[in-house]
Amino acid sequence: MTGGLPVSVSGLCVTGAGGRVLLSVSSLALPPGALVGVRGPSGAGKSTLLYALAGLIAARGRVCWGDTDIMPLSAEKRARFRAGNIGMIFQDFLLFEELGAGDNAALSALFLPRAQRRELRARADARLSALGLGNHAGRSVASFSGGERQRVAIARAMASGAPVLLADEPTASLDRGTADRLTADLIGLVRGNGTTLVVVTHDARLIDRMDRVLTIADGALVSDEAAPHGLE
Amino acid sequence: MAWNDVSALWQDIALTVLFLVPALLTGALVLRGYAPWPLVRAILWRFRGASALFVLLIAVSVGMGIGLLAQERGLRRGTAQAADKFDLVITAPGSELTAMLATVFLQPADMGLLDGATWDEIAGHDSVALAAPLAFGDSFGASAVVGTTLGFARYLADGQITGRPWQAEGEALIGALVPLEIGAEFTPAHGVGDAVDDHAHGDAHIRVVGRLGRSGTPWDRAILVPIETVWEVHGLANGHAPGTGRLGPPFDAAYFPGAPAVVVHSDALWANYALRSEFTRDRETMAFFPGAVLAQLYGVLGDVRQVMSLMALVTQALVAASVLLGLFILSRLFRRQIALLRALGAPARFVFAVVWCFGAALLLSGALLGLCAGVGTASVLARVVTARTDVLVAAPVGWTEIHFLAVFVSVTLLLSLLPAAIVLRQPVVQGLRS
Repeated sequence: MTGGLPVSVSGLCVTGAGGRVLLSVSSLALPPGALVGVRGPSGAGKSTLLYALAGLIAARGRVCWGDTDIMPLSAEKRARFRAGNIGMIFQDFLLFEELGAGDNAALSALFLPRAQRRELRARADARLSALGLGNHAGRSVASFSGGERQRVAIARAMASGAPVLLADEPTASLDRGTADRLTADLIGLVRGNGTTLVVVTHDARLIDRMDRVLTIADGALVSDEAAPHGLE
Repeated sequence: MAWNDVSALWQDIALTVLFLVPALLTGALVLRGYAPWPLVRAILWRFRGASALFVLLIAVSVGMGIGLLAQERGLRRGTAQAADKFDLVITAPGSELTAMLATVFLQPADMGLLDGATWDEIAGHDSVALAAPLAFGDSFGASAVVGTTLGFARYLADGQITGRPWQAEGEALIGALVPLEIGAEFTPAHGVGDAVDDHAHGDAHIRVVGRLGRSGTPWDRAILVPIETVWEVHGLANGHAPGTGRLGPPFDAAYFPGAPAVVVHSDALWANYALRSEFTRDRETMAFFPGAVLAQLYGVLGDVRQVMSLMALVTQALVAASVLLGLFILSRLFRRQIALLRALGAPARFVFAVVWCFGAALLLSGALLGLCAGVGTASVLARVVTARTDVLVAAPVGWTEIHFLAVFVSVTLLLSLLPAAIVLRQPVVQGLRS
């Protein structure tokens, strides 16, 4: 168990070109280890919330992970914060096709201090094994199926032992059966580690496995409720 | 220890390192603490076609620059070597350059003649070990027919004669590259090149009796005959009193029809200077060192060489800059991966290092391949120039070219910081969404 981080958001406002408000969240608090789904129509601002939580987007307000408000930090300090605390997963995996599964999962080792590289690689291997890819670490991901690729991406996101996992449509590129198996593995892994998970998704089955569900519409948080377990 | 006390080799090595210092420093600063190699390899592999093309472009431009520089130096050495046997040349007053080109490089020229009294004075001088009159003006095919003495023919070929030396008028020794066989006969034509008159010496038949060893000079294509033969073919006295039947020196001043040039060799270096001074006389004779005339010529061309080096370097920097621009455009294709690295928490310097390394890998491979191409180009050019001018040109790549390459590598590795910095400025979220 690595344990998750709590997050508290207040007065968050992301504006786009011409000052148009893309997202506005007045207040939001998530406990450590919470599994939180974010749903809403396309273009509502779900991914923008995710990027704001990751400190990848310029915004006003406060986003506090534990004791750290990442908003006033410089881009470089935010990157350092992400390296230690936040893992990210994307819809189309974003793997380096030319590298093996193990190298992709341990990508962060390339920029870590030498002393920490071995530990990260070991953790990446352990995550791959936990996700059923232990025997395929050396294989190039170019030969992997969509489900296998997303597993490699999950291993990469969790290789640093980050207490927070942010996922953007992790099952959208997968068929139903693969998506369900991936969901089960992902949730098993984050629950086992106590990781805080925020996942943006249209996938009702994935939403169904969350502790809380946020609904975003027109750039605003319109509902924050406990997951309707058993829905659909 | 003073710089001048250091051996030339170590000076060259030190200079190379000095030129590479900016590149090494840049590399060390950019890469400190990171190991981006797997990513750089992955990106190189993904864009292998474009990368190979870039490497080839750089290699060709570097190769041409190196090849030309080496060639220019090789040609300079070759021409200097061609003048080696011509310590001092004495002619009628005129242009030293024209006289040098006529005697050393056998270029046709109208020259005044030295008379018998002058010849006597030169040949009889105490300091002169070898004096040989040269008589130009006839030709056979592409070969100049030069009248001279057997002593000079031996001196020119360092004694290497296949067949036998000439023993009578109407016999000839041919240069190593003359397309005639020993035993062949020919009729010399009056004049050289376009001004040739094939029938002027219709009754003269000259037989080849020997071939001189290769000298690596335009004389390899010349046909040497006794100077008496040239004089007689032109209906002049043959340098000796009638009935003596002599061949070669001493000549009788009263029967000496004149020679456009006399090559003088002296065993002592100081004697050459004394002879030059003695035979430099207004309206009578002109004495000069062909090597010094060449050196003056190189002095004038030296500025051109510097401009050429600079232009080669600028051209290559431009090629490298366009390659880097290409890299920048290419980097748009992997901006998602770059954005991903930032999203994973990679420091800006790491992303910078990946992009810079990608460019550096192409530039270094191009430079190394260019060095090999340069060696090849220089050797091919040397062969072409040797074949065309008969001046034996060897153009090995030297330290100048290595220094040139080191400067190129340093400048371009510094330049490639630019696209790396620009890539870093791309917004991460846009990259992730693209």
